[in-house]
Amino acid sequence: MTQFLQATVNGLLQGGLLALVAVGFSLVWGVMNIVNLAHGAFVLIGSYIAWKLQTGADIAPLLGMVVAAAALFAGGYVIQRYLINLVVNAPIWMTLLLTFGLSLVLVNGLVLLFTGDFRSIHTSYGSDSLAIGDIRIPYGRLIAFVLAVGFTLALVWFMDRTRLGLAIKATGMDRGAARLMGVTVRRVYGLTFAIAAGLAGAAGAIYGTVDTFSPANAGIFTLQSFVIAVLGGLGNMWGALAGGLLLGVVQAWSGQYLGGTLINAVAFAVLVTVLVIRPAGLLGKPYYEARVEV
Amino acid sequence: MSTLTDPTRPAFTRPRAGYGPHGARVNREEALMRDVRPVGVWLGLACTVAVLVGGCGKGEGNAGGGGGSSTQGGTLKVGAALSLTGSLAKEGRLTKLGYQFCQDKVNGGDGVQAGDKTYKLAITYKDDKSEPDTAAQLVDQFNDSGNKLILGPYGSPSTEAASAVIERNGQVMVDSSGADNAIFDKGYRNTFAVLSPATSYLAAIVDAISENASPKPKTVAIISADDGFSKTAAKGGADEAKNQGMQVVAMEEVPEHTTNVSSALTKIRPKKPDLVLVSAHVEEGIAAVKQSKELGVNPKGFGETVAPPTPDFAKALGKNAEGVVGSTQWTADSKGQDKVFGTAKEYAEGFKQRFGETAEYHSAEAAAACLALVMGVEKAGSTDPAKVRDAIAGLDTESFFGPIKFDDTGKNADKPMSAIQIQNGEPVTIYPSDQAQAKLQWPAG
Repeated sequence: MTQFLQATVNGLLQGGLLALVAVGFSLVWGVMNIVNLAHGAFVLIGSYIAWKLQTGADIAPLLGMVVAAAALFAGGYVIQRYLINLVVNAPIWMTLLLTFGLSLVLVNGLVLLFTGDFRSIHTSYGSDSLAIGDIRIPYGRLIAFVLAVGFTLALVWFMDRTRLGLAIKATGMDRGAARLMGVTVRRVYGLTFAIAAGLAGAAGAIYGTVDTFSPANAGIFTLQSFVIAVLGGLGNMWGALAGGLLLGVVQAWSGQYLGGTLINAVAFAVLVTVLVIRPAGLLGKPYYEARVEV
Repeated sequence: MSTLTDPTRPAFTRPRAGYGPHGARVNREEALMRDVRPVGVWLGLACTVAVLVGGCGKGEGNAGGGGGSSTQGGTLKVGAALSLTGSLAKEGRLTKLGYQFCQDKVNGGDGVQAGDKTYKLAITYKDDKSEPDTAAQLVDQFNDSGNKLILGPYGSPSTEAASAVIERNGQVMVDSSGADNAIFDKGYRNTFAVLSPATSYLAAIVDAISENASPKPKTVAIISADDGFSKTAAKGGADEAKNQGMQVVAMEEVPEHTTNVSSALTKIRPKKPDLVLVSAHVEEGIAAVKQSKELGVNPKGFGETVAPPTPDFAKALGKNAEGVVGSTQWTADSKGQDKVFGTAKEYAEGFKQRFGETAEYHSAEAAAACLALVMGVEKAGSTDPAKVRDAIAGLDTESFFGPIKFDDTGKNADKPMSAIQIQNGEPVTIYPSDQAQAKLQWPAG
């Protein structure tokens, strides 16, 4: 029983981290219908910013996270405005090609700047954990989990309770109608992409405090985000959190009871099963599949 | 102006009556959003930049081709497919430094003396992106351009893929980092490895701890990545632990290149092993130590195959790296010397001077592979690949890397492994005893 509980805790904490990485990806896909293959690179840039601030200027990782998020927010707006916007109406393969190319540039830029070395952001609580009986809850992962839930709550509030958030949602539902209602679609898209990039930057900084990273992680982050977005479903800000937690727990349980090699096979089997039963994902809304874009 | 439209979507940008593309009444936002503008130009630019940046590691040195590993222009052309980008970029770079250092030393000395001719060594690098299939294709490309002499890619999967192509093409490859015994079980004749085989990695750690630890550990748990090299090394470690009278209480696998090994550690924790051995790469190795602390897995000591000797390990883990034992193909205290690099210490000093980095074993094994190839050409007195192959097979010599003598399968089976322990943030040699700089600290950490 202890092992089951420990595995579940491990899975939930890992799931929170995965959700934090994926939430921006899911947002851009849901609102802009763009599968951003450069998302993993944005996460990594966040990690490197926080790492550089800590090693170079002794700035605490949580503060580094704010700086990383702000830098990626600004960078994301510029990238959307002057790059992604060029293909926002183009067929899906064109957006895939552009974001893939962007990812290549960014990742190889990181290799040139920082080499392929593995890095980690040290924290005073990095290897400590909260012991409840025989169950251990690592502080670093707990903080990541709390932040993931916090960011998701903040995003839900923003999307449901602010005019800007409602404009973003409206644009995601029906771009033409949103424009007729006076929504400035260009700015909404820029802001959406900027928020997603900012969340990616924050996720990268937090990820760096609990795990190691190198430029090679970009592809893994993007793939995980893709799986979580599909699993959780588009059009609902809770989707990424639900998908991340499910993926984390499934991986932990399969590692515990079926063996480490089968972790990814089981995770993808669950993904397929969910899609068979609920094609729009756990919390996704079907109209996002069939939305009209005029 | 070019436009791209998706026929499956309603045309959001379709001009309406009175709102032509250049009409005065076109809304500014609509104008910005409506068309894709010169997408081809922008994408072409982006892709060009991507290729340029991504390919920065390619094509260094003399371009291969032409007259093969021949005498053209007095150069001995050698090809190397390396992981300059991708998940193994770190190790690929270290391997490249070793090859470069060898080229510098050979060309700065007497060159390559083959018969009555002297050649300059010219190594051409291509980026395999850390993908075994690509490594094999690049080796084939080297053959197409006449390069018959090859230095190995990084890692067992790429080396295994390349060795099949080498055999088919009649090329000759000296392998610098493919240690999986499976590479040498296929009956290939043209692949030679200067490094000790995979089964030695954990076995050397078990021997080092068994010989020096007091009290000697009684129980061992082993975590292995699920790739061929790591599984072979784990099996070698388990066999040696049993030989040394230890009980193997758990053997767990984790996915290759994962940074989450919590499931394996959760399963190991109730068994309270005295020693945890990890057969994996750098990222899994770092995660195993870090997450052990988080999850309260506290053995008397940790032993890991390839991670601890790399500088990243101690940097990424900080004080948590203290006391971790690692195995290494080479240290600056290794025995032996040769005419190109001198002793291991001289190699380390020269390397530091050349690159400003502390010499470690990935680079050393690469330099040793290059040295074996050069020695083979010199012994053959020719650059003919068949003659070079026979000459390499017959090598029996000392080097800064230790003995170089290949068995019938191409393994350098008699070369001993060393063991290091992280002490005060630095890897120090603790085994074998005649090379040890310090004693094993036990319990470690």
